[in-house]
Amino acid sequence: MEILSEGLTLQEKLNILADAAKYDVACTSSGVDRRGQKGSLGNSCAAGICHSFASDGRCISLLKILQSNECVYDCKYCLNRASNDRVRATFTPEEICQLVIEFYRRNYIEGLFLSSGVCKNPTYTMELMYRTVYLLRTQYHFNGYIHIKAIPSAPPELLEQMGYLADRMSINLELPTAEGLKQLAPHKTQAAILRPMGQIQHRIADYRLAIGKDARMERSSGNRYLSDTIFDTSPKRINENHQYPQTRTFQSPSPSGPTPFVPAGQSTQMIIGATGENDYQLLTTSQSLYQQYDLKRVFYSAYVPLNEDSNLPSLDTAPPLLREHRLYQADWLLRYYGFHAEELLSADRPNFNVLLDPKCDWALRHLELFPVEINRADYATLLKVPGIGTKSAMRIVQSRRTGALSFEALKKIGVVLKRAKYFITCQGRMMYHIRINEDFITRQLIGEDYQKSWEIDNPQSYRQLSLFDDNLLQIQPDNADVHKTVFGQI
Amino acid sequence: MTIFTCLDRFEDMMTCIYDAWASKLGHKNIRLLIEPIGNLELFCEYIHIDADEKKTASVISSIQRKISFEAYQMVYRCAMSQVPEKLDVIYRFLLLGFAYGGKVVQMLQHPAVIAIFELNRKVLNEAHLFREFTRFTSMQDDVLVAHIEPKSDILTFLAPQFEDRMPSENWMIIDDNRKTAVVHPTDCEFYLTSLSEEEFQRLEALEDKSDPFVELWKGFFETIGIKERKNYRCQRNHMPIWYRKHATEFQ
Repeated sequence: MEILSEGLTLQEKLNILADAAKYDVACTSSGVDRRGQKGSLGNSCAAGICHSFASDGRCISLLKILQSNECVYDCKYCLNRASNDRVRATFTPEEICQLVIEFYRRNYIEGLFLSSGVCKNPTYTMELMYRTVYLLRTQYHFNGYIHIKAIPSAPPELLEQMGYLADRMSINLELPTAEGLKQLAPHKTQAAILRPMGQIQHRIADYRLAIGKDARMERSSGNRYLSDTIFDTSPKRINENHQYPQTRTFQSPSPSGPTPFVPAGQSTQMIIGATGENDYQLLTTSQSLYQQYDLKRVFYSAYVPLNEDSNLPSLDTAPPLLREHRLYQADWLLRYYGFHAEELLSADRPNFNVLLDPKCDWALRHLELFPVEINRADYATLLKVPGIGTKSAMRIVQSRRTGALSFEALKKIGVVLKRAKYFITCQGRMMYHIRINEDFITRQLIGEDYQKSWEIDNPQSYRQLSLFDDNLLQIQPDNADVHKTVFGQI
Repeated sequence: MTIFTCLDRFEDMMTCIYDAWASKLGHKNIRLLIEPIGNLELFCEYIHIDADEKKTASVISSIQRKISFEAYQMVYRCAMSQVPEKLDVIYRFLLLGFAYGGKVVQMLQHPAVIAIFELNRKVLNEAHLFREFTRFTSMQDDVLVAHIEPKSDILTFLAPQFEDRMPSENWMIIDDNRKTAVVHPTDCEFYLTSLSEEEFQRLEALEDKSDPFVELWKGFFETIGIKERKNYRCQRNHMPIWYRKHATEFQ
């Protein structure tokens, strides 16, 4: 087998270009159902399939690589920026095709995630990527999932042709504000990022209208029972001036209807913690992206310091993983639970609670709505209870038709009673005698893991006076401290 | 107490349910178990049941007709689990099902329904994870072979998914624990077969250890993790260690 090329082996190239691609977050293979075909390789499953999990616990679903890590841009935060001295490599289209096909046959991956540094100029790079994907789809008969990262300021024609081959396309927003982008990515402008996003959105809408679907992407099927989601109140609807999709230039129009255009929708990603935005700004940005650009997903990537620069946080900053986690939790609340960004955060309290998840935090500020009666409340109300998710809410609604539900049954159904018990009643009774008091419930929820259950049965009215703030004791006494107490130093 | 026992095969189980039902001993006075039985209980009568084609067909058709197809799927999946009490769980569920009809699958407040619901979910989840973590190795003549050691008997769930995924490849998946395999020749339908010890050995001898893509994949797997975010606990959560036995990247 031909593995040597241009001095670097395929193995070396793969390692260099996977290493350079690993900071891209999205590795999802979801959003499109496609049956396999005889003579070609692969299918696609709307739920998405992960094939392995890397040492950081993130899923490996797609072969995530760059076409090239050569880059003419000099974005401050990026490992591959022009001013960094690194080994540079570029895959030929055939090499990528071979890797994808052989990995796919062995069930290592679900498809390809192709991104790239800007090699020479955006047009050249995008052309190279197009050649790869075109070859993969036509010559190698690959029918699996392909996610393409579009290069900002690439010509719109190329972008459009790419859309007919890919399942998902994404353009990185990088930073939520235009000022942040100007500061850290001097070669990119927000307009240059949003323009192609709008273009793809319009082509997707055209395709969807042409096959008789709604112009907007499908969302969670449970959303139809919710009255006021962010997708209903979207300010901009694109039903005006759509056109019948153009057929691919390389293919005669097929009798089976128009060629799918980015059927799994588009996504984007933002870096958090590199610039000074607060959570409220980030969440409202995502919300407007969902509403105005009809994105399927917005990804958040905790900033990992790789470069030294006066505009960046120092090299010893830990990635803000908890903040990233809270943002994802809130993102789900927007897309599946009918929440709005303004309900979760506001200009007065712009950041998430470190100790509580966004839904618990919201519920504690709206205790007037609780407790909720499990056997009567509608689906939308059930979803707002901490500890009840979309699956368990649906199961509750279905199973209570044939008889009343008890706490025991709720537990089996999958409700997290640890959190839910403060907010629900079953047949008019709460699980324990619990006072609906914000301070009390907050204390219980935060200290839940450490406290014994009898405390819930005999709720204290007041917190016991203590000299020490024992809730916040994070550093455990070590051996040296023990010695010191023995010798009377402490 | 009368205990009906049978072998761990779907036909045997369906016949066992038929005979237990027809015995008219009272549902409270009987139990159904899968062989082999470890500890025999006192004051119990054990009756072994053998598979019968007619009885099996009759049970299957009455589940589909009187309850629903969904209920039949749940029963089938549950029967593929490795839990010894599964047969009794199915029996109790069917009792309720024949009384209530199709809506029984949603009656999650009932202990008998939640029991089958849980087993069913367990098998489905396992099948899904093996769909993700099954790894093929390339043998001579471009035949792909995968070994798995699942707890539940999930080959019949895996095969259609892989048939759709790779319709024009020669592949086989071998269940090492049960010595069964699904075989899929190019552009044909797959079939289920059991392997003798001899065939098993011969397959092992044919295996090609020099696949260059194994190293490429391992390299990729190592590189793609971000060191600053290392989190082995999260990794184990998503991919428990026992699933990794035949996963290429962990060998």
